[in-house]
Amino acid sequence: MDLVQYLPQLCQGLLVSLQLTVISVVFGYAVGLLLALGVSSRLSWLKWPALVIVEVGRGIPSLVVLYVVYYGLPSVGLLFDNFAAAAIGLTFTVAAYSSEMLRAGIQSVHRGQKEAAMALGLPQPSTFTRIILPQGLRSSIPALMGLAIQSFQGTSLAYSISVSELMSNAYQSSSITFQYLQIYAITGLVFAVIAVPSTWTSVWVEHRLAKGFA
Amino acid sequence: MSQQLITESQQVTSAGVTITNLSKSYGDNQVLDNISINVKPGSVTALIGPSGSGKSTLLRCINLLETPDEGTITVGTTTVEAGTRVSDRALLDLRRQVGMVFQSFNLFPHMSVLRNVAFPQEKILGRSREEAEERALTLLDRVGLREKAHQHPDRCSGGQQQRIAIVRALALNPRAMLFDEPTSALDPEVGLEVLAVMRELAAGGMTMIVVTHEMQFARDVSDHLVVMADGHIIEEGRPAEIMANPVQERTRRFLSAVLER
Repeated sequence: MDLVQYLPQLCQGLLVSLQLTVISVVFGYAVGLLLALGVSSRLSWLKWPALVIVEVGRGIPSLVVLYVVYYGLPSVGLLFDNFAAAAIGLTFTVAAYSSEMLRAGIQSVHRGQKEAAMALGLPQPSTFTRIILPQGLRSSIPALMGLAIQSFQGTSLAYSISVSELMSNAYQSSSITFQYLQIYAITGLVFAVIAVPSTWTSVWVEHRLAKGFA
Repeated sequence: MSQQLITESQQVTSAGVTITNLSKSYGDNQVLDNISINVKPGSVTALIGPSGSGKSTLLRCINLLETPDEGTITVGTTTVEAGTRVSDRALLDLRRQVGMVFQSFNLFPHMSVLRNVAFPQEKILGRSREEAEERALTLLDRVGLREKAHQHPDRCSGGQQQRIAIVRALALNPRAMLFDEPTSALDPEVGLEVLAVMRELAAGGMTMIVVTHEMQFARDVSDHLVVMADGHIIEEGRPAEIMANPVQERTRRFLSAVLER
């Protein structure tokens, strides 16, 4: 029972999972911010499309999104390899969820902040980018860190469109050895080794932020 | 020190503020009914009255944080007419001339005290960072808070925060200052620090409109007292006279309620 020999393969998979996480979080949060601005907009041609994207993204299970991107879109001429499809699908889901977190954060900024900026005569763009947004982002951080951890765990769904990430590599190893329990236990452990300290970090950051912001 | 604070801040002369026939409603609720006030350049007007009388709304109409339904507002040479479309340029022009201090300070919590005072100068007056920060330090020094420059506002007491908020507004060379219950969120003794700075400003010739419950300040410092109730001006005149001999029953009741506290 030499499970150690499968560790390199699991680590390879972990690397792919982490890549997917980083891509979906970085692009997802950026798109999420744009969606949050769209949903908060007074311009209905911006607001409604953004709202539809957010609700669809939050309403449809991530797995279904991956299938639509990977198996569905080629029929309208959009063909992606499996890694790209996974990155796009996960980014979409992350964008939809993060947009609501960012919107909540931006809305939580005290009304007096905007009034003070207006009373000083700051133009609207700098009021938003320099006064409202930094404070809104800051209060979104705990929720966004939680979402990043969930996204990391969510990358295991990419297994279903045969991306060789952690879960997929675990499946391959176990189908050779039939040591399902051991290999999946190790896989779970690998996820936990990343996710649990991340959760601790996010709790710590949350406390720090709460202290620093009266 | 008083002359220093004002000359340090005033490179332009104080402006008069004239409000003519100003009205505002929220739905069916008329909060301001045909208000007219004339504040002379360099004078101090105190607005008093029970809560809900419309005094804060009136103050917030002057720099258009609230949009009046009718009437005109003139600050210096800038006139804004309610009901007409106010261009962004006219709006910023008006707000640049009028500084405002809020009950809840509203300092920017993500910036140091120094940046709170310097950043608006850079954005609004186009000053360089060095110039803006030097000026910020000079003004902070005048109110005794230079040593707080590199701390964040949450490390400052309420009285200190309010003095910083005053300095932040002064740094932009306003031609008039609006104060919306600047000491109401402060302990009485801490409020005195803030009132001291306001006295200096008044002595230095700043045009000031102050919504306040501080009767002693209103009596000692203001040139003109305006008593409001239910969206109307019910009485106005010289502070000492009104306080000694209020004509209106409503004023009498309000004054005795405030003074007995």
